[in-house]
Amino acid sequence: MSAIVKSKDNKPEPIAYSDAALRNNAAVVEYCRTSMAALSGSTAGVLGLTGLYGFAFYVFAVVILWLMFMIKAGSNWNKYYKSRQSLLTSGFFGALFTYVLFWTFIYGMVHVY
Amino acid sequence: MTELLLDPNIRVWVFLPIVIITFLVGIVRHYISIILSSQKKIELLQVQDSQVMIRARLLRENGKYLPRQSFAMRRYWFNNEDTGYFKVQKRAAASQNPMTDPGMMTDMLKGNVTNVLPMIVIGGWINWMFSGFLTTKVPFPLTLRFKPMLQRGVELAYLDASWVSSASWYFLNVFGLRTIYTLVLGENNAADQSKVMQEQMSGAAMAMPPDPKAAFKAEWEALEITEHRWSLANVESDLLATDSSNSL
Repeated sequence: MSAIVKSKDNKPEPIAYSDAALRNNAAVVEYCRTSMAALSGSTAGVLGLTGLYGFAFYVFAVVILWLMFMIKAGSNWNKYYKSRQSLLTSGFFGALFTYVLFWTFIYGMVHVY
Repeated sequence: MTELLLDPNIRVWVFLPIVIITFLVGIVRHYISIILSSQKKIELLQVQDSQVMIRARLLRENGKYLPRQSFAMRRYWFNNEDTGYFKVQKRAAASQNPMTDPGMMTDMLKGNVTNVLPMIVIGGWINWMFSGFLTTKVPFPLTLRFKPMLQRGVELAYLDASWVSSASWYFLNVFGLRTIYTLVLGENNAADQSKVMQEQMSGAAMAMPPDPKAAFKAEWEALEITEHRWSLANVESDLLATDSSNSL
């Protein structure tokens, strides 16, 4: 098993991360993100949000999901993730596509006809 | 708010079926490709070659943590002119064209059958069966540039760009359900084509070098010019220094 070694500037001690564990964490986060996109897209569709309100709702959902990650990870979040920012921003646009699909689908089912 | 009234029957018999068909076809494709995929046979010799290559690379990279004699011993085992592994092992130079290998050809054919054929067949069927419907409206305004993308099969010049035709709704589903497949079928599923490409790229570490003879020669050269620089020479004094600074 290979390990990613990342050194911080202020500390001489390099931090060793387990590659497999990092990948597993990323996969779990990706699952959560997809579920979040599908659920929030359906919610936006049922509520009948249109235009910028719908995209604002997506940003809101992403931030909420990030806060939930932070609460779940607690104070020692850097045991699980390398950076908090990338946890917020990574996969933003990939999940946006899923969100738009579900939003359009449910909106079409409920409000168009 | 709808300036255009759609028949609710379109929702039940066109809009919803397209979503369900697209989703189920993806799942069926996943399982068919599992059935068709042949487990690649790896020969013992090839595994041995790749493991030796990995060992030689590790020795080059991490040899500085070994004492000089241990490093020299390991390099001798690989590189010695008479008995070294890279010198003794004679591998036939592999120069085969993948096109001439029938096994490779079948694999490529299977990949095409499971990936491209359903796309054409189902896409054509959807086009034939559900053509000419306006199915839904995207809940956000779009510019006129999106009209050919979203209104394939419905050429109306004065229609608002946010209406989506049935054929375009199918393509939206094909691309949008990708992440849902990951959720339903797990990582590295075959319903999604981009994942397959990544799998091939990351699997390269397990795969054997394409031409073991050339690879052995390159590794032999690299190991030959590696200079041993022991990085643990001052380890005792370093340790004592940190210890004394900690206790202060």
